[in-house]
Amino acid sequence: MRKTMRRRTPITAVLCLLAAGMTALVAPAIAAPAEKYLHVNVEDATKGESVNVNVPLSMAEKVLPAINNHGLHDGKITVHQAEMNGVDVRALLDAVRTAPDNEFVTVKEKDSDVRVAKANGNIIVHVIDKTNKDQKVDVTVPIKIVDALFSTAKNDELDIAAALRALSDAGDVLLVTVHDSTQNVRIWVDSRNTQD
Amino acid sequence: MILLAKVALGVAGVAVAGAGMLCSEGLIHVKVVEKQAQGVHINLIAPAVLVPMCMHFAPQRNLAQAARQIQPYMPVVRAVMDGLHDSDDVVLVEVHGPGEYVHVAKSGGSIVVDVDDETDSVHVSAPIRVISSTVDDIAAADSNSY
Repeated sequence: MRKTMRRRTPITAVLCLLAAGMTALVAPAIAAPAEKYLHVNVEDATKGESVNVNVPLSMAEKVLPAINNHGLHDGKITVHQAEMNGVDVRALLDAVRTAPDNEFVTVKEKDSDVRVAKANGNIIVHVIDKTNKDQKVDVTVPIKIVDALFSTAKNDELDIAAALRALSDAGDVLLVTVHDSTQNVRIWVDSRNTQD
Repeated sequence: MILLAKVALGVAGVAVAGAGMLCSEGLIHVKVVEKQAQGVHINLIAPAVLVPMCMHFAPQRNLAQAARQIQPYMPVVRAVMDGLHDSDDVVLVEVHGPGEYVHVAKSGGSIVVDVDDETDSVHVSAPIRVISSTVDDIAAADSNSY
């Protein structure tokens, strides 16, 4: 009986060590959500220049509330009522949120085309500026992010910090692309710490 | 003979412990190369632990003006340092242009800056913890100078 116990004790110890080792290896991978990065890429083909910026969203979340300058304070930005042109943005967003996927605005003019639509939980804005080197601007914003932006109690504030938190929780998303004859700009969020 | 060996072991132990203590906070590396003929070529590697120690010997009065200038930005600086400290290694900024290259990254607890253009090449790397404590010391210099 004692011999069997003696034999079992080292085996149990080894198994415990193995289990502890496996837990230590696997636990961080399960517990820690992947860090998200905001990427900005600007390429100017005519000048042969490129600028890449990668910002960890967790860092941006910490830094933003520390900036108190102009309209920005505590991670929120104040938008003056005059700039809203009397539009009740919250009511407008509520209408967009509950509406089915659709194209809401289509404007075709001599100088520019504008299209605003809702598709797959995103608000999509597409602008072609024919006067400015045929510049094409595409903006895709998940409605969750827009909701977070307007999640403050005050009507004249946008909660940028809340939007960053919502971006962290959202999947990979291409937010902005700007193309013209000389420059390409891309802004997107994903879990990779490089732009390769 | 055995006594000599013990003494040698003791000296070696103290040297290793001293080197370990000096390098415990990491290293600061500054490399500047001027590309023209007979240009300056500096390559300095120093233990980062020396920086906060040297800060204690810097005349506080001379730091007071820097302290007053930096104090309004300290909440942002502290937030940036905390954020960088907690984040994974990442290339923060990369600029490629004709004849120029700029690279700012967080790598292994340090901030690494590389700038390379047609005339100069500069490499600076410093541990985030040391940058953070040094900036804190500078910001505190104003209150310490009176």
